[in-house]
Amino acid sequence: MNALRARLRAQRADPNIVRIHRKQALVAVLTRRLHIIKITLFLVGYLWMAAIPSPRLGRGTYIDENALGPGQVNTYWNWGDVANADRYLEQLEGLRDNNATSEERADFLMTEFLKLGIPASTQNYVFTSSAGNVQGTNAYAVLSSPRTSGTEAMVISASWISRTGEGDGTLNLRGVSTVLALANFLKKYSLWAKDLVFVISDNYVDGMQAWLSAYHGAIQSNLQADELELASGVIWTALNIDYPGHSFSHLGIFHEGINGRLPNQDLLNSFQQISKWTGGVPVLVYDHQDSPQTDIPSWIPSAYHEEIRAYAYQSKNVLRHLGYQARGRGSGVHGLFHQFRIDAFTMFGLPATGPHGFHAIGRIVESTLRTTNNLLERLHASFFFYILTTPERFLKIGSFLPSAVLISVAMMFGGLRIWSDCAWIPDLSDKKEAGPDKWIQRSRPVIPVLGIMLSTYMLGVVLFSAITTSWFINNQTVASTLLLIVVSTIPLCALLIPSQDASRAAPISQLLKALNLCFASTVISIITVVNFSLAMSLAILLGIPLSISSPSKTLSLRLAKFAPYIGLALGWICASDELRKALWDWEILGVWFAPFVCIVYTPLVLQAGLVCLLPL
Amino acid sequence: MKSSLDVSLVFPLLVAGRLLLALTSLSDALKHNHQLSSPLTSYLNLQEGIYLFQNGIDPYSGGVFRHSPLFLSLFTTVLPRSRVISSIIWTLSDALGAWALVQIWRTRQRVAQTSRDGLIAAAYLLNPYIFLSTLALSTSTFENTFALLALMFAAKGAASPALLAAAFLLQISLSSVLLLAPLLLLIASSPISQLASPRPFAGNGKKIISLLIEFLVFTVVLTLASALVSGGWSWVPQTWGASLTLPDLTPNVGLWWYFFTEMFDHFRPFFLMVFSVHLLIYVAPVCIKFQYDPLFAAFILLGILGTFKSYPTMADPGLFLSVISVFPELYPYLRYPIVTTLLHLHAALLMPLFHHLWLNQGTANANFFYASTLVFACANGAALTDCIWAGLRIAIGEPQEGFVVVQE
Repeated sequence: MNALRARLRAQRADPNIVRIHRKQALVAVLTRRLHIIKITLFLVGYLWMAAIPSPRLGRGTYIDENALGPGQVNTYWNWGDVANADRYLEQLEGLRDNNATSEERADFLMTEFLKLGIPASTQNYVFTSSAGNVQGTNAYAVLSSPRTSGTEAMVISASWISRTGEGDGTLNLRGVSTVLALANFLKKYSLWAKDLVFVISDNYVDGMQAWLSAYHGAIQSNLQADELELASGVIWTALNIDYPGHSFSHLGIFHEGINGRLPNQDLLNSFQQISKWTGGVPVLVYDHQDSPQTDIPSWIPSAYHEEIRAYAYQSKNVLRHLGYQARGRGSGVHGLFHQFRIDAFTMFGLPATGPHGFHAIGRIVESTLRTTNNLLERLHASFFFYILTTPERFLKIGSFLPSAVLISVAMMFGGLRIWSDCAWIPDLSDKKEAGPDKWIQRSRPVIPVLGIMLSTYMLGVVLFSAITTSWFINNQTVASTLLLIVVSTIPLCALLIPSQDASRAAPISQLLKALNLCFASTVISIITVVNFSLAMSLAILLGIPLSISSPSKTLSLRLAKFAPYIGLALGWICASDELRKALWDWEILGVWFAPFVCIVYTPLVLQAGLVCLLPL
Repeated sequence: MKSSLDVSLVFPLLVAGRLLLALTSLSDALKHNHQLSSPLTSYLNLQEGIYLFQNGIDPYSGGVFRHSPLFLSLFTTVLPRSRVISSIIWTLSDALGAWALVQIWRTRQRVAQTSRDGLIAAAYLLNPYIFLSTLALSTSTFENTFALLALMFAAKGAASPALLAAAFLLQISLSSVLLLAPLLLLIASSPISQLASPRPFAGNGKKIISLLIEFLVFTVVLTLASALVSGGWSWVPQTWGASLTLPDLTPNVGLWWYFFTEMFDHFRPFFLMVFSVHLLIYVAPVCIKFQYDPLFAAFILLGILGTFKSYPTMADPGLFLSVISVFPELYPYLRYPIVTTLLHLHAALLMPLFHHLWLNQGTANANFFYASTLVFACANGAALTDCIWAGLRIAIGEPQEGFVVVQE
């Protein structure tokens, strides 16, 4: 009773003291458990990432924009049009067999469009890059809208080379003949409220890049392309048709654009509904078929089999998505449209012996065009952030974004903890009198640390300018070994930095680690919104490694710790094919993945390596 | 290390570096940027106004040109208008501002030269918020320069030049009138740091009335000159009025635009009044609390302006951040400098990113950019409150073992 009264009196006595005590207790609890909190955040973050493909996390797709009204129309595409497509296909196969040049092909396509009474033209282009020149000729036609003044347009496109094997050279002859037959068919109807632009781009992606750059007047220093003779309005949506096989069993959606942009999900959902209900063709994400015969160990209760199978299938899709988006690589020709704010995707006819062909794809495209024709305003913002786990299920931004942010928060906590620890050191001078609680403050020399960080970024810039020279591309094996050696020896200069008096100033290695963690955390949390897959990859690659970097006493231990960081920072130099592709993407398409890796990622890992090299 | 920061070497080097940057084509890429120039300070609008003016059309009759007529008179008579020369003029204005800042520092320390001079010049010339705005040819560069010149002359006790600079500042930016009160106090007292020993206002209070009258005379003369240049009074609602009535809702880094895009029209006048008065309410408390150190009061008001004014650019909070370098006595008492820095880092990366996502890439919307400007406001607010805390905390002295300072 007395104790309680005393406590009450104490509380009444001075609210400030109570407040201070409460605050101190809270801070003490948090700082004491910070390690646990950090580990929990890491765990939850990584587990959340692992749970992304889980069927429990997503939800069913729906149409957000009511005006789209997918699948609400009668389609008129019939067997006569299929016969037309077959005629075109025969002629295209003739061109293929005669090894026709790009110009001949484009001239043929232009003539066919002109025969239909649609204004058409061709466009020559040349890209110069350090890997050599790329050239070709596009053909395109503009069917003016019978109902409006042509301020808005929709594109129906096909590239000469299919996306099979990411453009391995398989021809997209049936895709091209579908576009020609559609031109013939669509011009008969007066219901188009937007211009229809038909584009047959040369090669795989470079043709469309040249055409789109010219269409939007974008200046690209290494591109020489003819100006377009025919113009139309603002392009809102684009459908890219990819039909490489003889027939197809499913239509696959490929939607990732370059630099990680995704098209509005309404477009994909409309297509999925139309394909399913109007065309009767099942839809896939990518070309992944859901196989029911997955091997599941028999000791797992059969109640879970369905879920495990769904998880396996969806993780295949999610991983494919990660691969495209993280590298900023479009999953097809449609990806180039995204840079001009055009929502686009590729419908890929999955090669099979049957049952679908021109009849199905024509009806589906017709109905999809009727749907996009309904648009009165741009597709809703807020429907651009999603992960499609199956054609009919997706994850909203709130169910995947926090995973990477949690990792970034854990890293931030780690960095701030080290930062505040750096300011204090236990006073060991008079141990007898003072207890273990006696701490003295020391300075934190930030300027040299920022200097070290800045020099790693400079090194990154130098590295990037080195790998974009034509010398590097032409002697890749020699040059990459040389670069690897040079870049990994430069940080060894850190060994020359003398050890400092730790009682006056905080050791540079600790400060570097603190700022490194804070900065890496900032980068990860900011990238999440632009390119979640990249942020997730960074969270996986940087999260733990940057948090466990630590200096050590002996030279051999320092070097041993440094080596894995060099591997993590520069290992990509050895992946020569991947590197060449990334550089090609950067030079021709402006994908910023390669410069990002050189100038942001590599320096961050090098800083962690330097933490290991620097003296205690 | 210290001797290498000698100002006579560092200052020309920094200015030369900045001039080199100014001559690159960066300006053309940055001058459309909404974060670096507002409708009131945009170079493109200035050019448009000058063109209309030269062709005999009243530039204030449309809704585009919102610069002071003084800019019109300067750019149509004295100053050439080519892009390269403009870049040089803007950069030199920054150099002048940096020089003024160094002078303020020296006057505050009562010494002719210190080892920190170079560092202070660098804090102004290398501040990305400031130099990017200058590269974007935003006229907020001139606002900053005039603000620093006014403070410098006031610190040196040169009343008339200080008031003239303040009058020019008022002409080009109405909200800067907030700085008038601490400026007058500063002229009437001294710039020397009194943060550690608070006391009642020690200057000559009677002088302030005459100073105020002098300022009013300058202002009236400049206003009449403006009216003469533009041939009427139509410029008043377009320039001064714009910062009160917010006619142009082009996104910027401030807190006003989004709020007023969302507002129902019949609430607009009321909230315009609230937002404008909100800026004013800080003046008296800050000036009364820091009456012993008016330079510090001016510094705090710079921070408030940078956070809350109607059409801010990055340069406005940038000025506040650079001026922190003049108050090194604050540093030991700042409570969370790393948090403020990280907030600024996040905001500085998020704002251009969300702006791009909204207006270029089209995947985001206005709410994203607004959210990032809120982060920026938090960063500025954190810097401001931390500086106020530290400014008050100094007076209590070194932390003692077993004692805690509490704010009631």
